[in-house]
Amino acid sequence: MPNNLMQQPLAAASAAAPNWLAAAHAEARERWQAASLPTRKTEQWKYTDVSAIDREFVPGRAVSVDAAALDARVPDCGGARLVFVNGHYDPALSSSDPAAGLHVARFADADESQATLIQAHLGSVVGMDRHLFATLNSAALSDGVFLQVDAGATVHAPVQVIWLTTAQTEAFAVNQRLLVLAGDNSAASVVETFVSFEGEAASFTNGVSEFVLQRGATLNHYRLQLETGSALHIGGVHAHLDRDATFNSFHLGMGSDLKRIDIVIEHAGEGAHAEVNGLYLPRGREHIDYHTCMEHAVPRCTSSETFRGVIADAASAVFNGRIHIHPQAQKTSAILHNRNLLTSAEAQINTKPELEIYADDVQCAHGATVAQLDELSVHYLRSRGISRDEAQVLLSFGFVNELVNAVRSEALREFLRHLLAARFSRDGAALTQEADA
Amino acid sequence: MLVIENLHARIGDEDILKGLSLTVKPGEVHAIMGPNGSGKSTLGHVLSGRPGYEVTAGTITYNGEDVLALETEERARQGIFLAFQYPVEIPGVSNMEFLKASVDILREHRGEEALDAVTFMKRAREACTLANLDHSFLKRGVNEGFSGGEKKRNELLQMMLLEPSLAILDETDSGLDIDALQVVAEGVNNMRNDTRSFVLVTHYQRLLNFIKPDYVHVLADGRIVRSGDASLALHLEEHGYAWLDDEVA
Amino acid sequence: MSQELIDERIGKEYSAGFVSDIESDTLPPGLNEDVIRFISAKKDEPEWLLEWRLEAYRGWLEMATPHWAHVDHEPIDYNEISYYSSPKSFEDRPQSLDEVDPQLLEVYEKLGIPLHEQEMLAGVAVDAVFDSVSIGTTFRAKLAEAGVIFCSISEAVHEYPDLVRKYLGSVVPRRDNYYAALNSAVFTDGSFVFIPKGVRCPMELSTYFRINEAKTGQFERTLIIAEEGSHVSYLEGCTAPMRDENQLHAAVVELVALDDAQIKYSTVQNWYPGDANGLGGIYNFVTKRGVAHNRSRISWTQVETGSAVTWKYPSCILRGDDSVGEFYSVALTNNCQQADTGTKMIHLGKRSRSTIISKGISAGRSSNAYRGLVRMSPRAEGARNYTQCDSLLIGDRSAAHTFPYIESRNPSAVVEHEATTSKVSDDQLYLCQQRGLDAEKAVSMIVNGFCKEVFRELPMEFAVEAGKLLEVSLEGSVG
Repeated sequence: MPNNLMQQPLAAASAAAPNWLAAAHAEARERWQAASLPTRKTEQWKYTDVSAIDREFVPGRAVSVDAAALDARVPDCGGARLVFVNGHYDPALSSSDPAAGLHVARFADADESQATLIQAHLGSVVGMDRHLFATLNSAALSDGVFLQVDAGATVHAPVQVIWLTTAQTEAFAVNQRLLVLAGDNSAASVVETFVSFEGEAASFTNGVSEFVLQRGATLNHYRLQLETGSALHIGGVHAHLDRDATFNSFHLGMGSDLKRIDIVIEHAGEGAHAEVNGLYLPRGREHIDYHTCMEHAVPRCTSSETFRGVIADAASAVFNGRIHIHPQAQKTSAILHNRNLLTSAEAQINTKPELEIYADDVQCAHGATVAQLDELSVHYLRSRGISRDEAQVLLSFGFVNELVNAVRSEALREFLRHLLAARFSRDGAALTQEADA
Repeated sequence: MLVIENLHARIGDEDILKGLSLTVKPGEVHAIMGPNGSGKSTLGHVLSGRPGYEVTAGTITYNGEDVLALETEERARQGIFLAFQYPVEIPGVSNMEFLKASVDILREHRGEEALDAVTFMKRAREACTLANLDHSFLKRGVNEGFSGGEKKRNELLQMMLLEPSLAILDETDSGLDIDALQVVAEGVNNMRNDTRSFVLVTHYQRLLNFIKPDYVHVLADGRIVRSGDASLALHLEEHGYAWLDDEVA
Repeated sequence: MSQELIDERIGKEYSAGFVSDIESDTLPPGLNEDVIRFISAKKDEPEWLLEWRLEAYRGWLEMATPHWAHVDHEPIDYNEISYYSSPKSFEDRPQSLDEVDPQLLEVYEKLGIPLHEQEMLAGVAVDAVFDSVSIGTTFRAKLAEAGVIFCSISEAVHEYPDLVRKYLGSVVPRRDNYYAALNSAVFTDGSFVFIPKGVRCPMELSTYFRINEAKTGQFERTLIIAEEGSHVSYLEGCTAPMRDENQLHAAVVELVALDDAQIKYSTVQNWYPGDANGLGGIYNFVTKRGVAHNRSRISWTQVETGSAVTWKYPSCILRGDDSVGEFYSVALTNNCQQADTGTKMIHLGKRSRSTIISKGISAGRSSNAYRGLVRMSPRAEGARNYTQCDSLLIGDRSAAHTFPYIESRNPSAVVEHEATTSKVSDDQLYLCQQRGLDAEKAVSMIVNGFCKEVFRELPMEFAVEAGKLLEVSLEGSVG
């Protein structure tokens, strides 16, 4: 890597990491050192400029945080909660309430048997050679969260993982990793929330989550990217689905200068199903980029994906949704929808739904639209006395609301409604009131 | 009181209304009938200020106020309500949110107190019952996936909650079976009083069996060519619109 | 169907694959500035054009082969190609078709394109391009009456130098891309069309391209200018002999539709696709683009059945307000063919509209990709695009891909894109067979139905031709 990018955080990670992570470090570091940052000429980065990352970062350090201030920013779905501040586990803000069948461990204090399991699965989904920033993540590992759901267990309360970045004086980098191992026929939910308290210094978060779903496992996953201000985030969600596994993954991106998330779902066992929904809502000069890929490697799997974006002000968004049907993957059904609203003259969207198909007996379709709010709908609302501005708020909210309504956790739905109502209007309360009456 | 004088309107290059005049006093029910393409629906669209409809001459005043100078929402706040012939589907916005936002703003405009959530819910449910819509329709997206008849009854529901002083029903009867037609008629009849007026735009006389109009007007080629009382509608029922051709010519 | 039968079918399927023994003047393989000087001198070109070519060549030397397309082929050795080949009988340029070597005319007759005016398809004027030269253009006198110019680009350089100089490279700049730069350096012939203000061209214009000589490349250049309020419909057809080595075809087509003009450009591309094992065939790397001014319309219709590798994106720059761009495409690949084709609709003008209908059919072990770009620029107020991309897979070893890029920077612009994939189902086949049709006939019927929306955009004679062509190209695709 030219300019020895990320040297300080990498050195700090080496010093802090448990010994057994060293092997993963070595290979990942070698790859990172040999690589260079993608440019706009790199197809996968055509519309996203990462030059903001090409600078010196110091490691994130632990600071104390006001619990109430944090609570105001994150959902509360009950269940165990793990909070990391600038990459450091904060026991005071965390609460472990281990449900039956669920095991929560951190890489840093994993016992021997857990360490063995982690070693067996860490990097098994994302690999070393596919995503440069995931490789960086592996190179900079010192801690992370390992969730294991026992075979046959059903865990009702979602596990909440909160990744917080907060003010330091120098630009700092934070590395975050989640590994979930869902045993045969288990069922569980995980909510990942990325938030930041604004400070003067830029932060760069590299958050990678890996999911291993064994036979018949069901996992509901939520990833809320809520960092604000100058926070930069490049992250990935990588899931491996064994036979008959179901992965439901919901994504929300809003709030800061740069966010890029890669979502890769590998259907590796027959009968696996993935449902991925997402919202991106950049405004100001924010830039949000979701790259998704449904890998269908075996027959008889299904995937359904819907992403919607509302792009305001001078913000920009990128959506790239790929469906890849491998030659053996007959009887696949894969569908993808992407809809975008531009609400300002300077807003931009670049979208590319892709199909790459090597099997004939499949049902694949995708659609993408870009438009502004429907004039007739605006008129209908106005004819009932609602002002143009309010009509736009209601309709924008309605546009995203359909996906929020599909969220399975009621507590999370409620949190999202308030968050989104506030995003679309100063007086958000009026919108959510009665919605469930 | 609604006063329309010599109204000319067009869509694009096509002139639709060519000198329509009409006065509707408080408490009156007027029926406007006419063959397809006579401009019936255009009248409703122009009254509501729908984009794409251009008024080229004439005036519309409501209670002395120049309607054409008002934005669509301001007209609604003056008490003018249009029941759409083709109500718009708005997925994601629940009927309830929509109605609450609308009722709040109209009440505020009328200087009435805001309804608390419980009272509003109660009224909304009552209106649902009257409109013969299940309460679950309040939670669904506005008109989303509603059948034609359900959409029309949802318009009725809105009318009952918004309590306009002038309601224009644009072919609300079309596509309704007899039971649904009676529901709509009953809703209108219940709302009739000394101050509230109605304009019923319809192709068929059928609706007028259930809502007795004070006046019936026949619209042809963008103008009112004949006015009379309820018996005119019966005449139309019997003789159709063909005899009008002679009169227009 | 037995494998032998399939092989036999495939063996005879490409009916345009004959080689004609015509004595040629062919430049030895190799590319350098002297070759370009030779071509230019051979054509007696003015100095500015030679400079223009050399400038393009120097640009090309600095450029790299594009690798982004979803195709895979051996690198091309540009020094193995001959850049100029002309029938010997053209040493002294024939002045009219009557003077053309009868043997040459026979080639076209064999391809179903008689060039004697009395025998010609009524109402279609033809420019026939054989390897590097145009051998003649029919109906010139009749067209001239209407003020329409239809001739080879070499002639146009001499006879209408101002027009050529003004528009050549105005739509596809010399350094636009690797293959366009190469074409700009070495182009040999092609067609030139000029429709004056307000004129509706009285007949269909068409160019027929034929590669004959081995180891030659064909680098033709077509320029069509439709002045204000004029209309023209132009057809293009292509074939080449069956040869074991790959041959390069790198053409550039430029269309200029001035205010209120309409250009309809139709292609039936039937270059030799190579054999069933992927040996031989044409590399068809073509740049086609039109600029549409106010209220003008450019319509591309293509039926692509040939070539070993196709790399082609007929595009519209919708510069003018209320301009319209259309792209209707059928791309069929069989055996080992690879196609990466689609369009770009660049919306600059207010209320500009575009429609893209793409039908990809993949059979055998072939790969068929749609690649498109719809761009709504900040000033494209109220612009609209509708795109529909459908893929049909025949057999489980073929591949179909869709890569649509959508870029919007105007909130009032509306873009709608849809794509689907389907196969010829066993049920459909069974139904047809039960009604007495054989499998191939059934597939061809289903495919024709799948392509209907595109075929109806073709001029009548071409639509029939295209249907037949698909049938031939599909032979051996079902077992």
